[in-house]
Amino acid sequence: MNLRAFFYGLLLQWKLDIRSKTLLITCYLVPLLFFALMGGIFTAVLPDAGDTLIQSMTVFGVTMGALIGLPPSLVEIYGSDIKKVYKANGVPEFLGLALTNISAFLHLFIMSCILYIAAPALFGAQLPPKPGLYFACLALFIAVSLSVASVIGLGVKDQAKTSMFSILVFLPSIMLSGILFPAALLPEPLAWAGLAFPATWGYRLLAAPSFQPETLPPLLLIFLGSGALSFLLLKRTLD
Amino acid sequence: MTPAIVVEGLQKAYGKHQVLKGLNLRVNRGETFALLGVNGAGKTTALTCIEGLRPYDGGRVQIQGKMGIQLQSASLPGSIRAIEAIRLFAKWNRAPVSAPLLEALGIGPFARQQYSRLSTGQKRRLHLALALLGEPDILFLDEPTAGLDVAGRVSLHGQIRRLQSQGKTILLASHDMAEVESLCSRIAILAGGRIAFTGTVAELHARVGRQYNITLKTDQGTERVASENIGETLLALLTHCRERGATILDIQVDRGSLEQHFMKIAGEECK
Repeated sequence: MNLRAFFYGLLLQWKLDIRSKTLLITCYLVPLLFFALMGGIFTAVLPDAGDTLIQSMTVFGVTMGALIGLPPSLVEIYGSDIKKVYKANGVPEFLGLALTNISAFLHLFIMSCILYIAAPALFGAQLPPKPGLYFACLALFIAVSLSVASVIGLGVKDQAKTSMFSILVFLPSIMLSGILFPAALLPEPLAWAGLAFPATWGYRLLAAPSFQPETLPPLLLIFLGSGALSFLLLKRTLD
Repeated sequence: MTPAIVVEGLQKAYGKHQVLKGLNLRVNRGETFALLGVNGAGKTTALTCIEGLRPYDGGRVQIQGKMGIQLQSASLPGSIRAIEAIRLFAKWNRAPVSAPLLEALGIGPFARQQYSRLSTGQKRRLHLALALLGEPDILFLDEPTAGLDVAGRVSLHGQIRRLQSQGKTILLASHDMAEVESLCSRIAILAGGRIAFTGTVAELHARVGRQYNITLKTDQGTERVASENIGETLLALLTHCRERGATILDIQVDRGSLEQHFMKIAGEECK
């Protein structure tokens, strides 16, 4: 592994993501605007909303940034001739997948940190009791969300279809995860359906006052399943 | 002559469609070799199999040297700058960003422009620069001037001649006969999944172009005659002109264009 080239590639991908309006909109602009608007409404209507405001807005932002922001970058690389140029010029074929994921991870982590700092100052939101544990769980949740996004980006070959699939996963993720209203209010089949999405488990993991080990196996299962599927899709794309 | 590329019995099928039916090819070190074929003949399939970018079903490919590849359809992320792409690929190839190379290819003026804003010619030059970064011994060029205007073609032909003078082995796929005639020392015509002809352009003319086309222009009109015996035919034409009292304005003799010979061979193989 050529580490110098890898880190140059990562720095370059970071810059390309900043130049890409899609990623800026989905990772920063929309989540932070949603936070500014809904944060005010939530805390005015439900005084207790401040207890989980950071977590709910973070789950929304990460889910949006990952599911809607990452797949177009992957389609640009693996749904076009870029992958052939990489292969022909000695660049490893997995590089595009790795770099876009790492760069998106960093962007989503930064956006989550902005929410973590801004929510208490703007809306009197309560900080998670154990910051170290919170950020470790956040890292896991971002990684799982990006793994699902990778499956969409590698599995669908054109931008229009990718957007449709992303929305089809994003909307139920948000509606059924419990961040907008308690999942206990959902009809039982929908509550069960919600368990298929990382946002539901991510919200439970982040919002719990103490570490909830039972949320880890589903997240790890989704991560490993998506990782394996991404590997197969990447192989199929390159053959 | 030491071979740089040896291909024996190369076979490739897409489903039930057999594209390459046992292709044999030998490209010598330092020569510029053209692979010709009509659209869909399998030139790109053959090249990508030889380059190792596509798996093949049978046969053997032997490459003696470091490869540089310029693909027919190539792309890069729209927002990457030309110089950033060059640096990225140079780092992966553990090669320096060669200033003389960038200068020779005229990359400088658009080095800081984003890929999506480059013209077709600039993109071609950038991809050629990427292929040359690792200082390859063997260069694969797939339709290098497709989509370029006249100035772009002339410029790229100049670059290819420069590479020839450096002793690079070049395997070029094209259907531009003028390009092939001016750049390549030998050609191979791919038709019906096999190589239908291998040799120099002169050998192709000799094999197919036994007939001379004579165009005689006089003040009384133009006569076109095709003949295998140029001496007797010319003499007869001139005698006939003198007898009629016609003034000769122009005489042209040719053995048919490379294009015509190519079509004849490709057409025979496809029948």
